Amino acid sequence: MDNNRQGAKASYVALVFFIGLWLILPSAVRRFNREAFAEFQAPALHLVGKGRDLARYWELKSRSPEELVAASRDLARINAALELKLHSLDDARKENIRLREMLRYPQSTEFVTVVARVSIRETSSWWQRIVIRKGRSDGIRPGCPVVFGDRVIGRVSTVHLTTSEVDLVTSPGFRCTAFLEGDDQYHVVHVSGRAGLSLSAPRAVVSIIPLEYNPPAGQIAKVMTTGLGGVFPSGLTLGTLEAGVQSTAEKHMQTGALTPAKELNFIQEVSVLIPKYPTAGEILLTPAGKPEEFR
Amino acid sequence: MSLSWAWLFLLLATFPWLLGVDLLSDAMAASGVCLFVSGAAIIAPCRRLRRWQAVLFSACVGFLFESLRPIPDGSLALLLVFIAIYLTSHRDEIRDMPKMFGAAVVVNALGCSAWFIAAGLAHTADVPLLSLHFLGQWLLHLLLATILAVLLLVPLTLVQNFAMDRVGVPQPDEAV
Repeated sequence: MDNNRQGAKASYVALVFFIGLWLILPSAVRRFNREAFAEFQAPALHLVGKGRDLARYWELKSRSPEELVAASRDLARINAALELKLHSLDDARKENIRLREMLRYPQSTEFVTVVARVSIRETSSWWQRIVIRKGRSDGIRPGCPVVFGDRVIGRVSTVHLTTSEVDLVTSPGFRCTAFLEGDDQYHVVHVSGRAGLSLSAPRAVVSIIPLEYNPPAGQIAKVMTTGLGGVFPSGLTLGTLEAGVQSTAEKHMQTGALTPAKELNFIQEVSVLIPKYPTAGEILLTPAGKPEEFR
Repeated sequence: MSLSWAWLFLLLATFPWLLGVDLLSDAMAASGVCLFVSGAAIIAPCRRLRRWQAVLFSACVGFLFESLRPIPDGSLALLLVFIAIYLTSHRDEIRDMPKMFGAAVVVNALGCSAWFIAAGLAHTADVPLLSLHFLGQWLLHLLLATILAVLLLVPLTLVQNFAMDRVGVPQPDEAV
């Protein structure tokens, strides 16, 4: 028994020594440790996601042929309408390129879209995030915007080999600039996630709204990305501004709550927008002589 | 399998339970609560594994929880290691089932508090540590961690004991 207690004392001393070592270790070691444990879990997360897809497949397979015929007919109609739209957009794109060339206007950021299925959702008071089944091997990089259609879902925070973690719009780490619908002056406002209350829907906050701004009468004001900073393309919907915008304590700005554009807790699939060329932030953070990382 | 790898074998047997609880959190994502059972998962191994094995097992369980969440590195894992050292040197405190229940509740609550406070420290600008909001959230997470420890301890212990029997880990009375 004495040997056991003595061994325990030695273990406590070793633990204290290890904690000290852990605190002074370079962050790369801690990052490697985190990465190793994340990769350990990745196959299980893939399995969970694929299991869900299979369940969905069998659910769809049990639908009646009439339902499927009706769905495919609707899709064909939508396709036809979208094809027409594509033609008109193609003309607009060509004209846009010509005008940009004439004005020597800088090229806007181009993105490659990678569609990814959601593996698991992680929410707490301090974070709202999802894990998706695409990672470094698919070209995803930290900071890439994540969208669903034209609605912003969040931003990639951490990338592993085959999975990535995405901070949702409502997560406290999320920051973005935006325009408000109905603001003719195009004032830039700030959207940030907030630590949420459990058992209630997560919210983000829209701040630095000018005092003279009035939401359009009879409709909910949309909050849209500005495209400034080069992370998010402009014109994507972040959500809607809730009624009850309040003045700040200093009475020179207003703040309001943002309802996300998509029901974030039930989303199954997202698109990750990967910039074709490195963004300004990435260029600054990339060590010299390593530009091939972006190819 | 060599007895020295028993902790790894046990970790593989425990991992589906940890993943199951993560999936339960996923199903409750709209409520914004994170379920936690990693603390209760180290109780049965601490009865039978050797100290260094229990320490490795506890560290891995802690790091697994931390790896996919924005929690400061090591805040949970190192606490679980400390608890593992304590439990393996006071095995009489987890000798029978009622004592194991008590230990599971306390360890799970301590672990839950560790990650909750460590993660919350990053948001003190938004939510002050001594605010009603913070305390309310903390109590809610503690309550859920306690309930989950009580509900899952028996099945978790059964699976872990089965795994340890298969690997040939000595019974609690023989453990050093």
